[in-house]
Amino acid sequence: MLATIASATLLGVTGTPVRVEVHVSSGIPGFSIVGLPDASCREARDRVRAAVLSSKLDWPSRRVTVNLAPSGVRKAGAGLDLAIAIGLLVADEQIPAEVVAAVGFIGELGLDGSIRPVAGALPLVDALDVESVVLAPGSAVEAQLVGRHVIRAASSLTELLASLTGDEPWPALPSPDDLPPQPDPPDLADVRGHGLPRFALEVAAAGGHHLLMTGPPGSGKTMLAQRLPGLLPTLDHDDALETTRVHSAAGLALPPGGLVRQPPFRAPHHGASSVAIVGGGGAHMQPGEISIATNGVLFLDELAEFHVDVLDSLRQPLEEGVVRVARASHRTTFPARFQLIGAMNPCPCGDGGSPGGCRCSEHALARYVRRLSGPLVDRFDLRVAVTRPDPHHVVGGLPGEASAAVAARVLMARARAAERGVRCNAQLSSADLERHAPLAPDAADRLEVLLRDNRLSARGLQRVRRVALTLADLADEPPPLRSGHLDTAIGLRSEPMARALRLAG
Amino acid sequence: MARSTSISTSTDTSGPALPPEAWYTALSSFEGMGPATLRRVIDEHPRPEDGWQAVLARRVTPAPGVVALTRQRTETLVTAWAAKAASFDVAGYWRRHAEAGVGVLLRGTAAYPEVFLDDPDPPALLFHRGDPDVVVGTRVAIVGTRDCTRYGYDLAFELARDLSAAGISVVSGLALGIDSAAHAGALDADLAPPIAVVGSGLDVIYPRRNGPLWRRVAAAGVVLSEYPLGVAATAWHFPARNRLIAAIADVVVVVESHGKGGALLTVDEAERRGRPVMAVPGPVRSPASKGCNDLLADNRPVAVVRDVADVLVAVGLQSRAHRRATERRQRPSTADQAVLDAMGWQPATLDHLLLRTSLSVPELASALVRLESCGWVSPRGGWYERVAKPGG
Repeated sequence: MLATIASATLLGVTGTPVRVEVHVSSGIPGFSIVGLPDASCREARDRVRAAVLSSKLDWPSRRVTVNLAPSGVRKAGAGLDLAIAIGLLVADEQIPAEVVAAVGFIGELGLDGSIRPVAGALPLVDALDVESVVLAPGSAVEAQLVGRHVIRAASSLTELLASLTGDEPWPALPSPDDLPPQPDPPDLADVRGHGLPRFALEVAAAGGHHLLMTGPPGSGKTMLAQRLPGLLPTLDHDDALETTRVHSAAGLALPPGGLVRQPPFRAPHHGASSVAIVGGGGAHMQPGEISIATNGVLFLDELAEFHVDVLDSLRQPLEEGVVRVARASHRTTFPARFQLIGAMNPCPCGDGGSPGGCRCSEHALARYVRRLSGPLVDRFDLRVAVTRPDPHHVVGGLPGEASAAVAARVLMARARAAERGVRCNAQLSSADLERHAPLAPDAADRLEVLLRDNRLSARGLQRVRRVALTLADLADEPPPLRSGHLDTAIGLRSEPMARALRLAG
Repeated sequence: MARSTSISTSTDTSGPALPPEAWYTALSSFEGMGPATLRRVIDEHPRPEDGWQAVLARRVTPAPGVVALTRQRTETLVTAWAAKAASFDVAGYWRRHAEAGVGVLLRGTAAYPEVFLDDPDPPALLFHRGDPDVVVGTRVAIVGTRDCTRYGYDLAFELARDLSAAGISVVSGLALGIDSAAHAGALDADLAPPIAVVGSGLDVIYPRRNGPLWRRVAAAGVVLSEYPLGVAATAWHFPARNRLIAAIADVVVVVESHGKGGALLTVDEAERRGRPVMAVPGPVRSPASKGCNDLLADNRPVAVVRDVADVLVAVGLQSRAHRRATERRQRPSTADQAVLDAMGWQPATLDHLLLRTSLSVPELASALVRLESCGWVSPRGGWYERVAKPGG
């Protein structure tokens, strides 16, 4: 007899519906799965058989064929286990076909018959067009975020069959409160001194500008960067859902309530491969760090130590906000609207910041400069030097302004950006800038001087203007922009590199 | 002083009519063939061809110092020299020098600079671009670190400019940092011919970035080298180069030097030759001034340089009235002047300035951009230094 069960598999960060067809007939006893299963999916054979037997159900000693349709799509992961097991039981007439009509099943099976959560429950459920979906209890919270289905959770095959056939009521869904609360993000009040980088952080948060911090080791670049998420406003529902979808697909732990409300903060190590950063990989295209950081912060510490190809692969997503990963058999698009925060040493010896401190050879400096391509450095609207804090500031100095006070100003600036129809000023197009950021006469004169002295390129001009608009928003001064705003914006965009280190003849 | 050896540019150089300089130029291009070895070859073989044959026959052994410097065994060097000599195109190499306009001064000839005659370690050969006869009159070497601060750069520039204006030739090494500032300052005054001594062949410009300065020095004065064309700058050439700077100069002035550095080797060489050494003191916390401050603090006969008058007194010249640079920078606004005053003459970070002024971060950042664009301050990796006078 034939049974058809609804389930789904993951491709990138989107779910694809899969019909699991199970055919049980007379013939030589056997169990085969067809329809482009990958290795982990083929292993379902052994898991399903053990789970069925452990649950004290009968294993048909007949010929069992499982087809995963559409058979042209690669299926990866163990999420189809549950659907295969249910299909088998229906086809073997151990459970009636009516009870599984319009029900989707997603879950991995343990050999003891337990149902386990799988990565990507949110996009998987979203792909299903059925009345109710059964999952492991651990996936129920995020599955509910879709809101279109009745979500059922069962912890084992035995429990599931009892509820399915109506012998027992469905188990209660786990409450979101059971999950441990998330720790508060680090507070800016812990940072002493660092006037310029603090301010740059505030501007970055308000305008969504990418920020590059250059400074000697131990000067506090990482500490500063970790405080950026605490300054950013919480995500609105659409953004939160988009980020949650990626996190779910990447198999990351989700916060209580399932929805990622806090902007994510990702800090991959500089040894990371291009695939780990951008996404891709095996049959089912894992999202990379830039997608996991979508609507949040991607922090690249020791920027100059990253592989050059990894850094260059960031340029397209930085422009477009999405990353398109193509492989021979399939291609997919991941969201990648992240704010890039870079940190690096001024030179290989690290002491190039302080006057006369650098001991690097000319050759070593030249090689270091080459590691960062000009176009990438150009993407950073804000580039500030971080100096080692004065001992007076560190010991006994007054604590800095708390994150909450800064976040309030950031929220105000973001509200102004929202009036212009964008999330933050960094997203304004050149045409928008003309409309929303007019120049006062003194600012126009100043720009002319800057352009004439080659202190600014035409492209740099747009970037400086965006930052200047954010500065005006933060100071609660409506446009037109004044020359002071432009000067400050230029002060926040200094030459980051060893280039400026040596004084040549 | 006599003219430098004229080089025949006729194509007929394949015969036995090659001058002695041709043979020694070829020999000096061999790696590890230093001045001491070359001097011995010249002294022991009156005819240059005999010296060449001795190298071919592996009878020339390197001076003891060379073995230590190049980290090669005597055997290896002797064999390498013989192999090189066997296939060397002496005439072609000599012609290359002639075509490049590089002059050669051989020790023992009339053209050889007088200043090296009684030197403890004189060069056997000197190559020059520019006029070697400018090595007369009073000469002051200005040396220091490649990685200088704005303070050091400005001081070196001003000292060189004012010394040159007083008719004193400035000697330096055409490296980055202080050396560049010294040459640029001397060229700015354009009164006394500048002198440079470099550690590579005269067609190998190192550091590459100093190419324009290199050509300007050669045009206005002379660039000297112990190395023939094509020889790259290797680490052990620089101490040797520094000894020539110390030998040429009447006084050696160190403007900025780290605790260890080439400038201190120049000081040692100067003391060995009895040349007076002077040093510019710097902030005690500045790593770039540590070498100078140590020189002044240690019990050594090192005199302090506060301005050009100190140097002029040391070389025995009366301080001549020299022209003052006129202030051409746009005067800062009152508010920006307050920032400049708060900065003082020590490098400061924005945090220091925040404490010293009542300005906010954006106000201060914009003031610094304005001061920088008018040339009043020089930023560097988060630090700001006040610029005394334009130049450089």
